[in-house]
Amino acid sequence: MKALGLIIVALVGAILVYATIDFPPFGDPESPASLHVSPRYLEKTLEETAVPNAVTSVLADYRSFDTMFETTVIFCAGVACFLLLRVPRRRPPAPRQFRHRLTGLTFRIKDGGEFVLPVREFEPVDSIWTPYDLIIETICRYLIPFIQIFGLYVIAHGHYSPGGGFQGGVILGASIILLSVSHNLRTALKRMGEKTSALFSPLGVLIYTGTGVLCLVLGYNFLDYQALAALLPGGPIMARSHGIFLVEVGVGMAVMGTMVWIFKNLASRGRYDEGL
Amino acid sequence: MVIALLVIVCVVAGLLFFAGGTLGLLRFPDFYSRLHPAGKLDTMGALMVLLGLGLHQLFPLTLDSVLTGLKLMLILVFIFLASPTATHAIMDAGFRAGLEPWKKGDPRR
Repeated sequence: MKALGLIIVALVGAILVYATIDFPPFGDPESPASLHVSPRYLEKTLEETAVPNAVTSVLADYRSFDTMFETTVIFCAGVACFLLLRVPRRRPPAPRQFRHRLTGLTFRIKDGGEFVLPVREFEPVDSIWTPYDLIIETICRYLIPFIQIFGLYVIAHGHYSPGGGFQGGVILGASIILLSVSHNLRTALKRMGEKTSALFSPLGVLIYTGTGVLCLVLGYNFLDYQALAALLPGGPIMARSHGIFLVEVGVGMAVMGTMVWIFKNLASRGRYDEGL
Repeated sequence: MVIALLVIVCVVAGLLFFAGGTLGLLRFPDFYSRLHPAGKLDTMGALMVLLGLGLHQLFPLTLDSVLTGLKLMLILVFIFLASPTATHAIMDAGFRAGLEPWKKGDPRR
């Protein structure tokens, strides 16, 4: 079986290497890819879409249909992870042990007893509890807002600098994952619950397709953002720029929601009551 | 002229720190001691290089260059917060997992 796999891999590799012989030389200006559409995009992007960053305008305007389905693929990955991993939540028994945050002393409630002390100073020690570190917790608590602001900046600034919905969404999702890693899963679930993260990803796809349908309703082609000039100030060229922004927000939401969703399912093995 | 000299000194010192950190990462015997140069020298190297770059673009003194310098210093602050914390977290994880520190006479790990 192993030998068969090796033969298949070697064969496919040889075919790939054989196919690369037909490639145009690296950086060849005469290659088909750099003859037809690329120069047009590079030359016209500023006057047609008012977006200086050609990558963003190609991604979200000229080739937006492609990007729409990329976003859908991300959503599908989240759903697949959910369907494969998520198991119904077992009803966990009420926690019997409580740990005093400041002293680290753990108290156990006797059977039939009730917890009456101020809850803020105590934390329940159950299957979801993980040991934590004061330094990591504090630093992450101060850094996470800045990370999130930077994520929003990356989404909004995709028109002018490297960035955009995918990258910004990843940064936003990573901030929630950092919260989960540095504190515990319960804190992360409190900030962004399972339903919220699961809603964010289809909502992002909906914003993307909704922008397209809106253009269709206004009498233009699907995802032809010129149509938005009827609703937004600044004329048809600025409307294309604004349309790109709308779409990027959708992409960012989908990526953020999906990343957090997949992380939670993987980290807790689909149970949400144990693990990180 | 003086500024250019200062910039060169800063950046070269930063590169030296980076080189020392890499050397320590390669040469030190175990997990904990390797984290020491990775955490300390990289932070210091980044400090020197960013200081040099900030000085380099500060002149001629305009609002733009001051703002860029402030942004560079902001990066520094975040590196100073994040890098030691990350080192501490990795170290803590190794300690909790029960990895024994290296002692003199032990083989390299």
